[in-house]
Amino acid sequence: MVNKVREKQKYFLVLLVFLVVAFVLVWKFGVGPKLHAGKLEPSNFFRLPLLTFYSFLRMLAAYVLALFFSLAYGYYAGTNRRMEKVLVPLLDILQSVPVLGFFPAAIYFFVSVFHHSHFGVELASVFLIFTSQAWNMAFGVYETMVTLPKEAIDALDSLNIRGWLRYRRFYLPSAVPKLVYNSIMSWAGGWYILTACELIAIGQANYSLAGIGSFLFRSAEAGSGMGLFLGLVTLISLITVLHLVVWRPLTIWAERFRYEFVVSTVSTNQPAIFSAWRNVGGRLHHVNVPDKLARVYSKVIRHGMSVVSVKLREIYSHLSAIVPKKLIGKAIKLAFLILGLYLLVEFSIGVYSLFRMPLPKEAADIPLAIFFSMLRLIVAFIISLLWTVPVSVWIGENEKVSRILMPVIEIAASIPATALFPVVLLFFINSFGGMNLAAIVLILTGMQWYIIFNLVAGVRNIPGDLKEVATAFGMKRRQYWLKVLLPAMMPSLITGSITGWGGGWNALIVSEYVVFGGTVYSVLGIGALLDKATYQLGSQSLMVLSVVSLVIFIVLINRFFWRKLYKIAAERFKIEY
Amino acid sequence: MPLIKVDHVVKEFPREHSSLLVLDDINVEVQDGEFVALVGPSGSGKSTLLRTMTGLIMPTRGQVLYKDKPLRDVNLESAMVFQSFALLPWLTVQGNVELGLEARSISPEGRKKKAEFYIEQVGLAGFEEAYPRELSGGMKQRVGLARALAIEPKILCMDEPFSALDALTAANLREEVIRLWSEETFPVDTVLMVTHLIEEAVAMASRVIVMSAHPGKIVGDIKIDLPYPRNKMDEQFNQYCDSLFAMIT
Repeated sequence: MVNKVREKQKYFLVLLVFLVVAFVLVWKFGVGPKLHAGKLEPSNFFRLPLLTFYSFLRMLAAYVLALFFSLAYGYYAGTNRRMEKVLVPLLDILQSVPVLGFFPAAIYFFVSVFHHSHFGVELASVFLIFTSQAWNMAFGVYETMVTLPKEAIDALDSLNIRGWLRYRRFYLPSAVPKLVYNSIMSWAGGWYILTACELIAIGQANYSLAGIGSFLFRSAEAGSGMGLFLGLVTLISLITVLHLVVWRPLTIWAERFRYEFVVSTVSTNQPAIFSAWRNVGGRLHHVNVPDKLARVYSKVIRHGMSVVSVKLREIYSHLSAIVPKKLIGKAIKLAFLILGLYLLVEFSIGVYSLFRMPLPKEAADIPLAIFFSMLRLIVAFIISLLWTVPVSVWIGENEKVSRILMPVIEIAASIPATALFPVVLLFFINSFGGMNLAAIVLILTGMQWYIIFNLVAGVRNIPGDLKEVATAFGMKRRQYWLKVLLPAMMPSLITGSITGWGGGWNALIVSEYVVFGGTVYSVLGIGALLDKATYQLGSQSLMVLSVVSLVIFIVLINRFFWRKLYKIAAERFKIEY
Repeated sequence: MPLIKVDHVVKEFPREHSSLLVLDDINVEVQDGEFVALVGPSGSGKSTLLRTMTGLIMPTRGQVLYKDKPLRDVNLESAMVFQSFALLPWLTVQGNVELGLEARSISPEGRKKKAEFYIEQVGLAGFEEAYPRELSGGMKQRVGLARALAIEPKILCMDEPFSALDALTAANLREEVIRLWSEETFPVDTVLMVTHLIEEAVAMASRVIVMSAHPGKIVGDIKIDLPYPRNKMDEQFNQYCDSLFAMIT
């Protein structure tokens, strides 16, 4: 026993030393050099692959964090009733609230904690990418947990499989299909937001991190068509390669973690795959990655935890030899109480001082700004529906179309549209429509992809026999759409809309207010107001007030509109066996 | 001393505003060595009763005694076979069968040996490395059976184990279960089976308990005194079936 503990301690110590060394190295030397604004010498083009690699590393770091986060969060929310009541509404808010709105505060935190070092800015950007990836993955894990087949759970209970073994053998593998699908979406979302993560402004200080996102933006700003073109080509190449060597094989491999709910020979949920990829997937078949992953997990986390608890127990027993046990308990309680009180006081002072600051006169515009922003979102939503509904049916029902169009859509969704804003803006301002139309187009880029991803999944999940019924009874096309397709798509349409609106609100923050060539282009809207408060007026009170009113507004809409709608759709249009 | 004693068990499932009464004051005693079939229409709570008897579900009121001790958790001396097989699709046949042994912290070699033995017993030798999706329905249920037997339970519980199988496959598996139950060397000596087929109950069980629906109540309890193998053409067999039918309708 003692030997075992010693061994665990060794693990933990090695890990600790490694972490400290890594931390110091990063602290001292930083990650990658900075790219300076406006300088686009030919040498910069040669550095493009390197810049893309930096961005990729940021994405990867954020994704690994999101993966661990979602596996833990989704698991607790989905398997613990009491946790569910808190965690799910919280996730709901996190997902639908424009995280970009909180970004100034987050950057401020990271940068000041790390003394304005490069590392702090780097962490802030990873954090922002994380927020664009994590929620939807956590939801995926949660959804898997609550839809696990009842009999499988009974089987595990009756075999007395609990704790870690149950997580490793059951929960983790079950989550794989949804996790892979949502990861693709998350990576697309991450690339999309990359520009905003690599150009970080705090008041007067501007940080730009070396990466493909900042490169694209600078190129667009400088009007360098060559830079834009080469940048996009490099990025799209990387995304395509990732698709071919990572996501495709993973999608096929993930199929083996799917339950067969219906005993049937026709599978309705097969993704479009080239036969060559089937081979790769087939070879992967025998590699049980979640199991391996779980083992690493187990070694690091569990052993680490046990070492910590052993240490704590030692300290405790040493202490209790000197001081009576009761006193220790009281001391711990007191410490927590003091800490809690301190935090409460700090928080109250913060809120108080915030509202003692004079509110700029722009604060009166908040309700109207929200109203106008809402109108823009509605227009963007209608445009999204007009093209995504027919296209998703086309893709979902036709294997060939899916094989060609899905990768195109997945790649298009990944293009950091935020980097292209200057170009879009230029086009609309010079030709027609002006900033208002430009803003709507920009919102659209942040909204439509979520809707189509969800819709395609929905159409694919329509059981084959329902479609056969339509054919067997000789339904007309119109009738088929009204009686079969649209009702069956309803739940996924609503889920997609909720996420899509979340993406839309997020895009709003960067769409209504664009700085380009030293000029500010903006419209009246809550996103613009927030940016104005942050970058122009530097008014923290207005900033907080805008974010809070926006959050309250979104949460209210979600509670009283989308959730209700979802409940109705889930009851009326659910396909059960 | 009865092996299992169900003592005034009431089970309610909470609903939004009210609660649904599924089991209404159930009293049953199961003796060591019996093969008990629970039959009844859907909604009679037979599956719920089975799960209560093994400790998968806790009763709202009343209690279940196992060897005279109240059951507070899953009974580790029982194992269950399911209608949908409930196999884990990412584990091989071997992996699925070893699952219950892993939870009982048996050494890897011991697990392997035991799993192989029971896989062979259910007639699946050679399929150890196959995945569930590569198997037919009947073979999947054999894996489910091997998984349950591998933990060497005293009680084997089966919840509509043959409903998802075609008639021929079901008939074969029924015979096999009876063979395993009657063999002296096997640890399983008591079987509890839920079914909605009266003929199946009469063909297999030594005792049939009949339940009625909404709420679930016991309306009949008879011993089937026929030697194995039983013949469906037999007059007595049909008499049993008829009297059970009369109890349900």
